[in-house]
Amino acid sequence: MIPLLDITGDVCPMTFVKVKMGLAKIAPSETLNVLLKEEALKNVISSLKAEGHKVTKVVGRVDVFLLVVEKCNPGK
Amino acid sequence: MNEADYKELKKGGMMRQKEAGLFSVRLHVVGGQLTTGQLRAIREAADRFGKGAVHLTTRQGVEIPFVPADSLAALKEFLDLSGVGVGVCGPTVRTVTACQGCRVCPSGAIDSPALADAVDREFYGKPVPHKFKVGISGCANNCMKAEENDIGIKGYVEPRWTRDECTFCGVCEAVCPTKVVRVSEGDGRVSIELSGCIGCGDCIEACPTGAMGEGKRGYQVFAGGKFGRVPSLGKRILGVLRTHEDAIAAIAAAVEFFRAYGKPKERFGDTLKRTGIPALETYVMERMAKTS
Repeated sequence: MIPLLDITGDVCPMTFVKVKMGLAKIAPSETLNVLLKEEALKNVISSLKAEGHKVTKVVGRVDVFLLVVEKCNPGK
Repeated sequence: MNEADYKELKKGGMMRQKEAGLFSVRLHVVGGQLTTGQLRAIREAADRFGKGAVHLTTRQGVEIPFVPADSLAALKEFLDLSGVGVGVCGPTVRTVTACQGCRVCPSGAIDSPALADAVDREFYGKPVPHKFKVGISGCANNCMKAEENDIGIKGYVEPRWTRDECTFCGVCEAVCPTKVVRVSEGDGRVSIELSGCIGCGDCIEACPTGAMGEGKRGYQVFAGGKFGRVPSLGKRILGVLRTHEDAIAAIAAAVEFFRAYGKPKERFGDTLKRTGIPALETYVMERMAKTS
């Protein structure tokens, strides 16, 4: 089952800290679902991109979004 | 010393203090940049000629207060030899302020210090009808408060959407601070109303796939801003300028316009109230067309 991380109650920088902790618990190429508020979208996505992870899907349009994040695989 | 002498000294950056016989000496700083060598010289100068302290001005400058009138010449000579210029005041083009720009700041879209240096070289201390301030912000975050200056420049990143990688996830629309991005999956399009785009680049940064990419970078120009007793914000003029050279040419033309139409003791924004902004825009565009 894909783990779900809810950071809707967090503010920057804890939002991305928690995403990093969530990603640390899964193996490369595995997927993490992240539920977040609109104000965290830009920073979380740009930080994920900067570290090489992939956001493969975004669900939601108002207030709360769900990101499907694929952990990067440096060996690939 | 008579009033005329005080006025001349003031123009040269030596401001009379409340207490007779003392001066606060303004130094020449561009975009808040000083080398450690210059800082050492300033420290030495403040110790020797002032009271061992400096004042940091609101426009990234430095002043050495409490310099006695009979030390002014010696101070100036000492600073000259140490590679520190003396500042200006009065009806001149004043200190050019700038952020650290794209060579240092992750948000920077333009090289603000380089533009500040160029403007400084060409115009610093040159006569104009009234004080004239130029401030350069490297991006839409606008740390240098472009709209508070007679001419303000602000870096701009134009978003460019390409269909291939777009998943129509809606993130770009959600993060846009001015709500000019519209995602319509039904039509298979993302539209950007560029006239309302502030060029912040948030949509580009947030796009998960890279479909929203960087188009051109450029320079937005604001004219007629000021603070002081009756503050007013500068208005955006011209389109987004694409090059460093165009930005310099636009500033040069604005200074020329101010010299031609400004009255003594009238700030640029008040001149523009009389002439209208379109008159300035036409003038600047004609000048730029001639020089390019």
